Amino acid sequence: MATDDLATQLAPRAGANILAVEPFQGLTARVRFRPEGALDVFRAVHDDLGYDHLSMVGAIDWVDHREVFYIVWSDVTKQYLGLSADLTGDAPHIESATPVWPSANWHEREAWELVGVAFDHHPDMRHLLMPDDYAFHPLLRSFKLHEPEELEVKSRSV
Amino acid sequence: MWVNMGPQHPMTHGLWNLRVKIDGELIVDVDPEVGYLHRGIEKISEDRHYNEIITLMDRCCYVAGIAWEHVYIGAAENALHITAPERAQWLRVMCDELQRLASHIMWYAAFVQDLGLMSPFLYGMRDRDLILDLFQSFTGGRLTYEYNRVGGVRNDVPSGFTDRCRKVMDWLMDRFVEYDRLCLGSEIFRRRCDGLGVLKAKECVDLGVTGPMLRSAGVARDLRKDRPYAVYDRVEFDVAKADAADVTARYLVRMEEMRQSVRIVRQTLDWLDHHPGPVLADHLPRWLGAPYAPMGNEGYLLKRNFPRGTGFAAVEEPHGEAQAYVVNTGGEHPYRTKFRSPVFVNLSAAKHYMIGYRVADIPPIMGSVDICVGEVDR
Amino acid sequence: MSSPAPAVASPVPPKSAAPLLETEIPLVNGPAVPYVEIETLRAREFIPQAKEALSSLLREQMEGKLLRPVFNWAGRNSLFPLHWGLACCAIEFAAAFGARWDAERFGVVPRSSPRQCDLLIVNGTVTWKVAHKLITLYEQMPEPKWVIAMGNCATGGGPFRTAYSVVPGVDKLVPVDIYIAGCPPRPEALLDGILQLEELIRRRGE
Repeated sequence: MATDDLATQLAPRAGANILAVEPFQGLTARVRFRPEGALDVFRAVHDDLGYDHLSMVGAIDWVDHREVFYIVWSDVTKQYLGLSADLTGDAPHIESATPVWPSANWHEREAWELVGVAFDHHPDMRHLLMPDDYAFHPLLRSFKLHEPEELEVKSRSV
Repeated sequence: MWVNMGPQHPMTHGLWNLRVKIDGELIVDVDPEVGYLHRGIEKISEDRHYNEIITLMDRCCYVAGIAWEHVYIGAAENALHITAPERAQWLRVMCDELQRLASHIMWYAAFVQDLGLMSPFLYGMRDRDLILDLFQSFTGGRLTYEYNRVGGVRNDVPSGFTDRCRKVMDWLMDRFVEYDRLCLGSEIFRRRCDGLGVLKAKECVDLGVTGPMLRSAGVARDLRKDRPYAVYDRVEFDVAKADAADVTARYLVRMEEMRQSVRIVRQTLDWLDHHPGPVLADHLPRWLGAPYAPMGNEGYLLKRNFPRGTGFAAVEEPHGEAQAYVVNTGGEHPYRTKFRSPVFVNLSAAKHYMIGYRVADIPPIMGSVDICVGEVDR
Repeated sequence: MSSPAPAVASPVPPKSAAPLLETEIPLVNGPAVPYVEIETLRAREFIPQAKEALSSLLREQMEGKLLRPVFNWAGRNSLFPLHWGLACCAIEFAAAFGARWDAERFGVVPRSSPRQCDLLIVNGTVTWKVAHKLITLYEQMPEPKWVIAMGNCATGGGPFRTAYSVVPGVDKLVPVDIYIAGCPPRPEALLDGILQLEELIRRRGE
């Protein structure tokens, strides 16, 4: 089983932080880990398992908690691996992955902006897609879309 | 001194802003500013049915619409546990490759025009319209196709399509020679492109850069070969690769990719000629909008009993590796969709391939990245 | 006057008949006044009339009524749109300038600086982040200027109408002259929109 192999390979450096290694549709497996030991897990996945390419960082708002997921790729095994951590509390936060994968920079800025997950020790945490004074996190479930209000139309008499 | 190049600048090819810190003519620091075209596709998807999101995917990347449909459809089918029929898979591969041709030709037309050569724009747009005519004959659209469906594709290609497509492919193969002669034979082109925007393989991998930019640095990584999706394991092609990692190398990689795409399209046409069959899966639930689904309450029953799941798919899009992540919690709408755009990542690495060059080098370097702002901002 | 003068009697006497100062001439609607006064009266009337005519001529020219057809003819045959691609419609905008449609035969030449343009083609979705930049570009363009909202997004938000970051129609920001439907409109539709704008310019000031 690929999942068992992964669990044994991850054990020496990040065993305490791994909650589960489960099969996943479209990926080799998904590793669920404790957010407190995020950096250890990232280092173990990057150095020991050889997943040197970070493809995607995203966050999901599950109303009672938020989930951060990472998709990484290994050029050796030609496989994708998923990592995911559940963040609880009023101010969900997790360690930034930028020391391990520099490409996490913009992904984490976007995840913070849209879902409101804070990334500790991020080198350059600013608004990315929305204007600098935008005060909402639009991808939260509590943020509802609606038809735009009627605005004044500027017309010109020819 | 910080200089804004954008959001309205002929170099940008879209709606973004490149903030450049210059010392005389030398680029000291860059800070790409994106988000001017952020349309909230991921949020709108939460209120839409699975098949309605395809409309958004076409507009997400407007030069490679059908490839992005494939990205989303792959993830949605994974999440809903549906498999498309074989002929639909071949049609998707054919569409992907035709779209790669159209996208690369569009890139060629826009990029070379920035360097001061006008005729490649006219030649490129002329040849691209032929490919769009092919698309129009079986999807009805020129840019936005809405052709893929969860569980297959909307309709089959019309009769006589394969012969027309072969003629266009033959025409294009001759034109590629012409393109190369116009560019590689032009002293202006070589002097403005050779040795610029170098990003070596190690940096590419660290920064997550994919697509022609990575392959121009000598890494033969292509999802179509490494992790074949649809029927890419049944067609023959080579992965284009160059070693110089500069602007000219990216040009060469894209030109070679177009030749390989023609090769793949010809193989798919041969297969399509000899293997008729259905293009949409049977027994799709009615709420997916399938035309021949059972009437009555069956559709709703299926909806209630549909398995939950999360789907992931990755596709080698013309710009690089595109990925989609679709969370299905059992409703008519996906709970969350997340898309990974290759250009988003390639642009985020701008600091590493721009610092140290001159201001006049910005158009060739940014042109060689092939930026499509629709998918950067989503 | 009690009775009208006989038809044969000329109201203006011959100059040699009598000294001018003593002659009285009946005016049609007023009291009889000396001939010289009539001359001065006419002169007095002529000056304001001439002033009026001249100033109205000037005003017409200021308003452009006199030479407006000429300006309209010149303007509508050399529309310079701003070279600015927003979203999907920008690709069709580029295709319209390609070999097959060749919009330049209508005198439409895209320029990169807003100060050289008189036509703003909003070819794509306008977000709130770019809204004030669009207004700045519009205000930098010299008068007279026109705006074409190309595609459904610029017309009313299109498929992204409900999104949190999208302006539901560019007419909330700048006055729009021509709306082109389509998502995206074909290059033929863009050319048709430009021709309709030319018709609009031809009728300007009538």
